Amino acid sequence: MRGDLRRVLRLTVVGVRHHVLCMSTSPMILVFTLVTPLAYATLAFYLFRAADRPGTPAQVAVGAGLMGMWESVVSRAGGAVQTQRWLGTLETLVMAPMPLAVSLAHITLAAAIVGTYSMGATLAWGMLVFGMAPAFTDPALFVLAVAGCVVSLGMIGMLLASTLVLLRNANAVANTLDYPIYLLSGVLVPITVLPGWMQPISAVLPTTWAARAVHLAAGGGGPGEVLVPMGIGLALSLGCLLPAVRMIAWVERRSRTAATLALT
Amino acid sequence: MITRAKVRQGARVIVIGGAISYRALFTWTAPAMFVSSLFVVPVLQLLFFTHLGRQLGVADDRFFVIGGAVLSAGFPCVFGGTMAVANERAYGTLGAVLLTPGGRVALWAGRMVPYVLNGLIVAVFTLVTGVLILRVRIAPADLLMIVPTLVTAAASCSALGLALGAIGLMARDVFMVSNLAMTVLLLVSGADVPRSALPGWMRAVGEVTPVTHAVVAARAVAGGAPLADALPALAGEAAIAVVLATAAVVLLRWFEHGSRRRGALDAH
Amino acid sequence: MWAVEAIGLSRVYASGAGWFRTRGARITAVRDVSFQVPEGELFGLLGPNGAGKTTTMRMLTTLLLPTAGTARVLGHDVARDPVPVRRVIGAVSGGDRGLYDRLSALDNLRYFAELYGVEPRVQRARIGELLELVGLTGRARDRVEGYSRGMRQRLHVARALLHRPKVLFLDEPTAGLDPLAARDLRQTVARLVASGTTVLLTTHYMAEADQLCDRIAVISDGVVCALGTPAALKDQVKERDVLEVEVYGAAAEHIARIEELAGVRGTSVEEREHLQVLAVHTDRGAGLLGPVVAALDGLRLGKVATREPSLEDAYLAILQESGRESAAEVRA
Ligand SMILES: Nc1ncnc2c1ncn2[C@@H]1O[C@H](COP(=O)(O)OP(=O)(O)O)[C@@H](O)[C@H]1O
Ligand SMILES: [Mg+2]
Repeated sequence: MRGDLRRVLRLTVVGVRHHVLCMSTSPMILVFTLVTPLAYATLAFYLFRAADRPGTPAQVAVGAGLMGMWESVVSRAGGAVQTQRWLGTLETLVMAPMPLAVSLAHITLAAAIVGTYSMGATLAWGMLVFGMAPAFTDPALFVLAVAGCVVSLGMIGMLLASTLVLLRNANAVANTLDYPIYLLSGVLVPITVLPGWMQPISAVLPTTWAARAVHLAAGGGGPGEVLVPMGIGLALSLGCLLPAVRMIAWVERRSRTAATLALT
Repeated sequence: MITRAKVRQGARVIVIGGAISYRALFTWTAPAMFVSSLFVVPVLQLLFFTHLGRQLGVADDRFFVIGGAVLSAGFPCVFGGTMAVANERAYGTLGAVLLTPGGRVALWAGRMVPYVLNGLIVAVFTLVTGVLILRVRIAPADLLMIVPTLVTAAASCSALGLALGAIGLMARDVFMVSNLAMTVLLLVSGADVPRSALPGWMRAVGEVTPVTHAVVAARAVAGGAPLADALPALAGEAAIAVVLATAAVVLLRWFEHGSRRRGALDAH
Repeated sequence: MWAVEAIGLSRVYASGAGWFRTRGARITAVRDVSFQVPEGELFGLLGPNGAGKTTTMRMLTTLLLPTAGTARVLGHDVARDPVPVRRVIGAVSGGDRGLYDRLSALDNLRYFAELYGVEPRVQRARIGELLELVGLTGRARDRVEGYSRGMRQRLHVARALLHRPKVLFLDEPTAGLDPLAARDLRQTVARLVASGTTVLLTTHYMAEADQLCDRIAVISDGVVCALGTPAALKDQVKERDVLEVEVYGAAAEHIARIEELAGVRGTSVEEREHLQVLAVHTDRGAGLLGPVVAALDGLRLGKVATREPSLEDAYLAILQESGRESAAEVRA
């Protein structure tokens, strides 16, 4: 049992590392994972300033970092199957005795981890350019909240990976998923002025809770304040993961029937 | 002497040549991606910034709806202008295009017309959708007055795209460049943040880049000011369009000469 | 128990198949294919392009579901129990894609070793051993994107061998390789078979099949039209002579005239630089040299010789005959 657990852990580390390396060597990463979030951070900083809003300016850096994380998951996890198909590695992955869901989980987790490059960039940017340091009392708690967010996003990524592959125009759909989540989940700043009918949607989105946990940890919240939303976020994401895993098994079987594993 | 036939010939180059190259070169014409990038995303972006503005109490909805609509013209125009040049090269047709005897200005103006129209349609759609969803009160007559500002913005953004495309002939990876250009416009144009909050150097950059002046003009007319009041801003935007278009034509001509000399017109 | 067993295996493709569209043209790529491969054998599927070799391999390696029939690998059903099959097989699907180009060979192998559940303790040694086997030791830390076609193919082989598979599937392993690289790869395959691995390979090179395989199934238009050892296949054309004529400028009408001669069983034409080599299969001792030359109607001739049929002749004869049969089927 201990041995099994260690094997799973090792598999996860090796697999995630592998895909993080693959993603990190793409030149596009510079623009979309670093520059765009920095632009958002800058824009948001001046928006906050225009509002003459008191409070924590570090929220801006953290929020822009979260935006970058979500963008990474939507684009990289949402297109995971298609990307592997293009690389020609989808067949190699399917042919391994490991369920396809496991390989895909590595990819979606890697996507969320690569997204944390954005968080690092916006935090550094905020401190260097605008002198806004996060007010955490406990850096470890912040790291924990970000890690929880990574795991949440990884699980949501599985749902995206399994549903978007069924759509012929997956790219076009993935393209539209950024702003709604920024808006509904209060990624940059909690939006209390949302129309009433949107608020329940916001409340059941795991991203809402994961973002809240990260924001609270960055703002100096205590363990109690941070861990509760983080836990809710993880639980809701787990709710995404279960149907996703079943769907991926179905997708794999369907591809074996329709001969679409190797198609570009 | 300019004869009628010559004018007609020039018009044909502009309209037909432009339309054909538009279809051949605008790789987004895959319908779903086209609709999603050009029509859905700008509206969603507009909704996001409007609500953010409401939440922070920065400005009213109209501020963001107008800003978002004008900015939405930028996306298809900057990318389109870049692609007009870059794809000619990627498809290996640039040599043939540059060697045609027709006037260069007509040629590249023709390339731009479809993108300007495209940008206008996108911007009008974004504006109307934003106004309807957010129930922003703008008099219908004032809405109509916004159209000229959108046309001007589309023209200056297309010119920017063309200039970037021309630079792209010498540099690699033009799309990285046009992506960055859109990010810069978002930051400095004041479409989604009051420019008064921006630091001096960003405001200065905004003075000379597309979108900024068009946004000022559009906000003025949307607020009920007569078009005359918006004319100075509109003229500023138009001036930027002219300068960028000239720069693009000069760059392209320079490139043409240089590569003819080196005999490497289609070198990658 | 057979290493590989196919029973009436068939596959129909619905072309233009999207996710939910099954209408449109249907292509029967593999039709009622049956064969058995005992453990330790090197079994070849030989056939021209589009014969259905890859389709058969994909079904056997669990990537594609058969539309009829069954197949088992070491007793496991490839359609119903894919995971046990995947544990015991390795496969190289041909082509130079399917690797993570931006990473090194070592990184690629480490990742797949983990996915194949190779014991962590033995991983390092196993990877080193395989890199040595395929001759990539010196380049193991280089990014795959800089590899040649042959190096990629060898890396694929190393990847497929990580978990010491009992059955190895190679789809056109030497296609696109230069002769030297192809020879190295064939040697590697021969060594694997010598060490007890069962190998199934596809090829459209006669010589490769002749040299490597214990038994060959000749497949054409999705149908197995002959099966046996290379020697047995040659025996099928034992009752023939092959008349080989070098000729300048033979046209279809000349060939047609020759094929109408009594005692001619078939012809094949190989285009050389400025001449053609015409092989005329005749009944043994038919002595058709005169009539054939007459049929060529005054064309300039080069060397003319009569020889024993080779495996290549057997292959061509088999394909021609099966072609005639299917043509007859169509007419019927
Ligand atoms: N995914 C597919 N969809 C439709 N037809 C296919 C597909 N794959 C192969 N085919 C067709 O099936 C036939 C056999 O192909 P294949 O098995 O690749 O032959 P081989 O490997 O012997 O060259 C060909 O006619 C080919 O066009
Ligand atoms: Mg094949």
